[in-house]
Parts: sequence; C-alpha cells; structure tokens
Amino acid sequence: MSKEYEIFARHPERVLSGREVVLTLRDLTPGRSKYRGINVRAVVSRPPRPGEPTLWIRSVVGLRDPKPCSVRIVEELPEAFEAVPYSDFFEAMERAERR
Amino acid sequence: MAHGDMRSFLAAIESTGDLIKIDDEVDWDQELSGIGRLGCERNAPTFLFNNIKDYPGWRIACNPIATWRRMAVALGLRPDAPVPELYKTYAEREQHLVPPVKVKDSRCKEVVIPGDKVNLFDLPVPMVHEGDGGRYLGTWDLVVSKDAKSDWVNWGMYRFMVHNERLLTGFPRPTSHLGKMLLDGYVPQGKPMPIAIAIGCDPLSHLAAAATFRIAGNESELAGGLRRAPVELIQCETSDLYVPADAEIVIEAEVYPDRVNQEGPYGEYPGYRSGEMGNAICARVRAITHRKDPILTLDTTGFMDSSATTTSISGAIAIQRRLEANDIPVKAVYVPPEGGVHLAIVSVRKGGADIARKVVETLTVRRALISKVIVVDEDVDVFNIAAVLHAFATKCHPATGIHVTRYVGRANTLTPAYTQEERVTRTGASVAFDATWPPGWAADATPVRATLDSMYSPDIQRRVLARWKALGL
Repeated sequence: MSKEYEIFARHPERVLSGREVVLTLRDLTPGRSKYRGINVRAVVSRPPRPGEPTLWIRSVVGLRDPKPCSVRIVEELPEAFEAVPYSDFFEAMERAERR
Repeated sequence: MAHGDMRSFLAAIESTGDLIKIDDEVDWDQELSGIGRLGCERNAPTFLFNNIKDYPGWRIACNPIATWRRMAVALGLRPDAPVPELYKTYAEREQHLVPPVKVKDSRCKEVVIPGDKVNLFDLPVPMVHEGDGGRYLGTWDLVVSKDAKSDWVNWGMYRFMVHNERLLTGFPRPTSHLGKMLLDGYVPQGKPMPIAIAIGCDPLSHLAAAATFRIAGNESELAGGLRRAPVELIQCETSDLYVPADAEIVIEAEVYPDRVNQEGPYGEYPGYRSGEMGNAICARVRAITHRKDPILTLDTTGFMDSSATTTSISGAIAIQRRLEANDIPVKAVYVPPEGGVHLAIVSVRKGGADIARKVVETLTVRRALISKVIVVDEDVDVFNIAAVLHAFATKCHPATGIHVTRYVGRANTLTPAYTQEERVTRTGASVAFDATWPPGWAADATPVRATLDSMYSPDIQRRVLARWKALGL
C-alpha cells in the first residue's frame, strides 16, 4: 500500500498553488505511530502524480476533501516552528515558507 | 469516604453497576472512543477497556465521572443522590480546603522512562474522533504548573495532542491559569515552563483540576477539601513540581517559550469541532513515569462529556460565589449539562434589567466561558428546566429583556457560534435573558402564575394534594 498523509488547511488554495509550501503532515501508515506529525517543505499536486504518496486535505473543522492529492517532500523541517506560544500556527508556517 | 486512587473508584462504581469491563480487543483508533462517545450520549456506565489493539498490558478507563451517578459515588454519596444535593455537597466542602501532604514513594514511579527513552507512541493514546488533528493524550488529565514569580501552583484540565515521539501540543487557553502563567512569567524571560500531566488520579483531584477556581488558588487544597482528606503529592523526576502520588501515568514536560506547532482541531466539550486550531502551546517531554499495568483515562469529549457534570457543579458554584462577591442578590445557580457549559441559570431575590445586566457583566470581566445567562426570580427552581423554560418564554421581554455585553481578547474560542475571525481575535459576546418581573411593577398588577402552587390558597393546595394521594397518583 502506498504511503498516505493528511494535512489541515485554513486556505487549501495555498497548499494547491503548485509551489513549494510548508506543511505539517500526519502520517496515516497503520500501526502504533499512526498520525505522527512531520513538518516539511513540499509540493502538492492535484490530480495526484503517480509514484507520490497520497495526500488528503482536511479543513480547520476536520472535514476531508474527497478529492485526493499527492505530495512530494522536498525537505524535512525541525519539529516545531519559531513563534511565541499562542501565535497563529498557519502564519508561523507561512513565515517558515518565506525563509 | 474519599477514593484513594482511580482503581478504588473504579471498584466502587463497579459495585454500583456503573462500570462495564470490556475484555475483547478494541481499536484505539476511533473504535474505543466511539463506544465512549455513545456512552456519553446515552448516559451509559464507565467503560474499562482491558484489551487494546497494539498495546498489550495497557488499559483505558472511559468517562470516569460523566454522569451524576458516578459523580455522586466520587463524592462518597449514594449513587441516586439528586443533583441539588451534589451541588450542596460541593459548595460545603469547597469552603474547607485541606492542604496536601508530600510523600517520598509512590506507585506512580513503578516505571520510570527517562527523556531519551521516551516514545509517546508506546502509550495507547486514542484517536478520539475521526477528523481530529491527532491523537489526544490529555483529555481527562490534571496538568500541574507553577508561577514563575510566586509559590502559586495551578492544576488544570487541558487537552494535549501527540505530535511525535517526544513532542506534545496543547490548548490550555491563553486566558486559562496555565496560559497566564506562561505568558506573564516564562515567555518574557524566554524560559521553558515545566509542566506535569498527571493521568488517572483519584476522581476528585481531576474534578478540582477542572474546577473554576480563583487565581493564585491551589487546586490541590480544593481536592483535599472535596475528598475531606489530603492529597498525597510526590516530586517529579525532572522538575520541582509535585503531582498526585496515586496517578496512573505522569508525563513530565517543558513548554517552549518560543515554539508552536499544529494543535487541533478537536471535538470539544461544547459538542462541536469548531476549528479553533492555530494558536496553542508546544511542549517537549522530559520523562514519563507510570504504575505497572497502567490505566489511561479518557474523556470522549463532545456533547454531554465529563464537563456535563464537572463544570456544571464547579462552574455553577464559582458563578454563585462571584455574583455574591459583587453584591448581586443571587439565590441559586445551575449550569445544565445539555447547555455545553455555555448556559447558566441564575435565580435572584430581586430581579430587573439592572440586575440582569450586572450578572452578565460580572461573569465576563476576565474571561467569558458562559455566553448565555437566564436570570429568573427566586420562586423558579433553577434545577427544574421546565419551570426555567416557562419563565424564559413568558417573562423575558423580547425587546427590552435581552442584555448583551461584548468583549475582545477574552472570548471563548470554543463557542461554535463564533466566526473563524472572532476565534482568532477572541472577540465575542454574552447575553443575559431577563426572565424576572421588573422590580417597579406593583405587586397587585404583576401577573400571577397559573400553577397549583401560585394560583390557589394553601388550604386548597393541601386538599388537592391529599386527594391526589388518595387517588394513588
């Protein structure tokens, strides 16, 4: 079975822009580590590209977009983003993206 | 009598028929919590899952005191004690705080896992709802933190999600006591804040952690008061924090003063997943200790979860105390479980617009968790929802009986009615529905309620009730 991930997006159009974006992926591989988080710089494609892991996009209330994407991980990032507690996480990701 | 630990409480509710043990294998990924969720919605017993997929040797107890029966047992009362008796018991015991005692040894240290060996995926952390942001370790927990500038130690019940093997993200709201400690004392100095997440303690310690308690108040003393016996505390392995010695599991961690990560979304106590994700805290685990054969506790958060009882009692008593302190002639307060901790019913000895307005303003000064307050006259029993609805529907003037107060920076981000923008800026409003008679109305012109207890003489009432009894009704 090919690898699958999911993300939570406030603005899905940013994720689907075709450029490199910073994301927090949830690894959906069955087993004890299912839902493990990983921060990455990646490119998302819809429709999915053959050979790439599947990516599902969920909204901020957790609803899954039924149309699948694929994700190409360019770089794994540190496990947390620089920002003071309670900072907007999505803005912190976008700042990391601009670096 | 106080229950010394979670296990003795589970034995007590098993003896009253309020515990079901499940020995068949159940999946930690939604199946187990789905059973618990339905349990909340159907007022079912606590479930103790003894056989969890992928996690032999671990157990999960679900919704420990999510019903009034189990709350009664936790307080040492008979399981069918009526709700007003539970409220009265809590209010009396809350007035007699009992300081904790420190011990050197405890069973929560039977297994000690140092930071470099920690793997949060070794714990059977459930995926609570389909579509949550991750697996939630902290649902029925007790999070200890200490003020950077004083001896104030806070216990709170806050949600925490597993990000990876050693990283947690959590959502103690910025207006919570932990949030205040972090933002006022640690973030300005760039210092990490030690916390300890205790899981599976005696139920009244968790009730105290979930309670609305005063700033600088120590909930361990409240727990002692509710138990009528001191809580035994033991020092953490990696900090000077103390945790309940009877805990099943203790996660010791440090909250970063300068890092964030994804947290949520999560199906929460108001009964919705509201999309409040995006502003949380991030903590790195430094050690885990636990008992042998540990029991992880889970609150399957959502409609009628444990807050239906815990916050109903502690929130209502806290509201009553605050209104009394502000010279509002309050008689009784009830936070009905079905209101998702968003609705309070307040009866007052003297009503009117000024009082209703003062009630809602007083309850939203620092943080605003309740968004709707129904103010009724003292002859309405706040625990009788039919009587409250009758008063609300008939006595609240549709144009002049509604009093709204607005605020920025202290709204409840979990309130489903708010837009995503309001959530981000914590902008909101609360409203008082004045269902009292205006004090200026003359008594001889105020409508008389058409019920037996109001529209008939005492003599007729006695005769009717006697007849009623004779008819076997």
